[in-house]
Amino acid sequence: MLKIRHPRLTCLAFIGPAVISLLTIGIGPLAFAVYTSLHRYQLTNLRRTPFLGLENYQTVLSDYVFWEAMGRTMKLLIIVLPIQIIIGIGIALLLHKPGMSVLRTLTRLSLVIPMATTYAVVGLLGQVTFNIKYGVVNQLIGFLGFAPVNWIGDPNNAFIAICFWDIWQWTPFCSLVLLAGLTMVPVEVEEAARLETRNWWTVLRYVQFPFLIPGLTAILILRTADTLKLFDMVFTMTRGGPGSATELISLMIQRVGFRGFDQGLASAQAIILLALTIILSQLYIRFFYREV
Amino acid sequence: MKVKPVLFSITIMLAVFAVATQASAWSLEEAAKPYAGTELEVVFLLRPGYEAAEKMIPEFEKKTGIKINIIKHPYENSLSEQVRDFVANGDLDIALIDLVWIGNFAENEWIVPVDKFTKNPDLADPELDLDDFFPLVLNAFGAWNGVVYGLPFDNYSGLMFYNKCMLKEAGFDRPPETWAELKDVYGPKLTKDGKYAFALQSKRNETQSCDSFARVLWPFGGSFLDQNFKSNLLSDGSQTGLKFRQDLMQYMPPGIVSYDHAETINALAQGDVAIITEWSAFYATLTNPETSKIVDCIEVSAEPKGPAGRKPALGGFSLAVASQADEKEQAAAWLFIQWVTSKANAKTYLELGGVPARQSVYKLPGVAEKYGYVNALVESWQEGVPEFRPRFAEWPQMTEIVQEWGTKIMLKEVTTEQGAKEIGSRVEALLKDAGYYDGKKPLAQ
Repeated sequence: MLKIRHPRLTCLAFIGPAVISLLTIGIGPLAFAVYTSLHRYQLTNLRRTPFLGLENYQTVLSDYVFWEAMGRTMKLLIIVLPIQIIIGIGIALLLHKPGMSVLRTLTRLSLVIPMATTYAVVGLLGQVTFNIKYGVVNQLIGFLGFAPVNWIGDPNNAFIAICFWDIWQWTPFCSLVLLAGLTMVPVEVEEAARLETRNWWTVLRYVQFPFLIPGLTAILILRTADTLKLFDMVFTMTRGGPGSATELISLMIQRVGFRGFDQGLASAQAIILLALTIILSQLYIRFFYREV
Repeated sequence: MKVKPVLFSITIMLAVFAVATQASAWSLEEAAKPYAGTELEVVFLLRPGYEAAEKMIPEFEKKTGIKINIIKHPYENSLSEQVRDFVANGDLDIALIDLVWIGNFAENEWIVPVDKFTKNPDLADPELDLDDFFPLVLNAFGAWNGVVYGLPFDNYSGLMFYNKCMLKEAGFDRPPETWAELKDVYGPKLTKDGKYAFALQSKRNETQSCDSFARVLWPFGGSFLDQNFKSNLLSDGSQTGLKFRQDLMQYMPPGIVSYDHAETINALAQGDVAIITEWSAFYATLTNPETSKIVDCIEVSAEPKGPAGRKPALGGFSLAVASQADEKEQAAAWLFIQWVTSKANAKTYLELGGVPARQSVYKLPGVAEKYGYVNALVESWQEGVPEFRPRFAEWPQMTEIVQEWGTKIMLKEVTTEQGAKEIGSRVEALLKDAGYYDGKKPLAQ
């Protein structure tokens, strides 16, 4: 068998830039975050940075405000993710149907618009759309005869508003990933199934679904990570208010680290969040991922 | 004739003459000559006072050759932006200091005391006249522990803005004198048909701490801390004030906890609310036909009194020289700060939409008549409380605690007692950690 030898230097030259970038942008800041999480690291008092060991982690884990923020974040995840997947599958199935190619192309293109809009702009749009006096939403429900709803100023309604906005922005992503999965289904297998039965649910469950699993797993991992670190949209829309009604874990970390300037505590919170994200990703892969 | 006394007298006269000519010879152009070409970086906010200063800057640049580079930020970002810059030894040469940041900035030695420059005859304008600043304002905005670091630049007092037409329709020919009158007499009569008597901006940021929470403490005899730096929020005065605010909410628009300055000003300007207590700087917005529907109906007076007297909200910013700047930049920065806050420029600043802290400008003929808020402002600056909000280094962390629980109280998630207890215990833990209770730090706020 012919063995091809590559000079060591060539290998390093090819992978070196990527590794250096990863170390600089990813590993370096992470290592610094771990360092600060083990110290008292108050930006407004850097003359005193004593080693605290795990004290910051203890403070975080015993602070019910942290768990409340985490609870809100998980509540958001549990509400929006299934809705995004269900609507995403519906849109993907509609786009997968043969015929109306121009309309299908236009729809596929328009699905990109919400995803392409910057998070911060989405939040500002939300402020305007849900304004109690001037917002579009209250105008529309007014046409139906309902009284204006206090969206941003009411704790429950503000949470509903951010759920709605997240679903609006990321359902198209789910639909496009699932549509890609549907295109992987062998045409002849799908045709044969449709000859056997007219029931769309049977075709989806037994023929199409196995090909959707890789896409679904990717959606679960990516959307979970995105939701756990969701910040910009909520910050610009409600700033975590009213009260703490929409203070997600990322907003709490930003508040502690960049408004209270306690980088040590904020780093500990961020490391705990990272650990949680990794655990959830591993669980998704273990329980959901199957090769076709 | 005795020669020695004559020679002595002549020497004295010559010395006096030399000082007099030296003083009258000082000019900005001459003082700035060594610093021509220097570029200075400063953070400005998106507010009328800064726009006024921006319009004045070209004149300064032309006279001195010193370039001012402005980095604009909303208020919410300005502290973190400056802290990051100072910690990282960045580019800022001038510090913009909210009065609640002065302890933080001074203790971290990020700013330079003004006497470094006022003792330098090459840099000190003989017309500087620090006594011309309102003492409360200079002390609260620019000084910490008896040392002056900054000169007052963007200066506010809380004032009561009201729609006299709405009041007249409801049968009132004057604004409320007291908070109790506002709630018990004006509230019911002005709250009807989708209109509200009052709006108190209470959004969960510094607005909650200063505009909402602190505003109902002091007039009712309360305060954040007692003389031992322990929480005073469970005192009778503080609890009375916080409960008063809860009662007053029935006369405010729904969702008041999400109202920031823009929403509150807009509510008055659009005729939805009759009375607000807001910063003096917003007078320009309320009297501008482009931004206000009630230009012909707007009136201003001092904030209502409480049982403990009139204790209006106090806020504002000073400009100080950043210690991270090099000597040349420091000198140039001082020249700019001294110029933009000078007695000579106060009227220009006022006319362009700023609010100077110079007593002399408000005594000029016609000023009080032209600017309707002047009398109320001057009155407020006589009666204000310098520690309206504590100005020590721990305020950034303390305000986060107040903001969180202050809004929870308003949302009725906790009672005033529970909220006060929660704030108290967290703040005391913070202050203990900082060394206030074991003598490591003086009890200064």
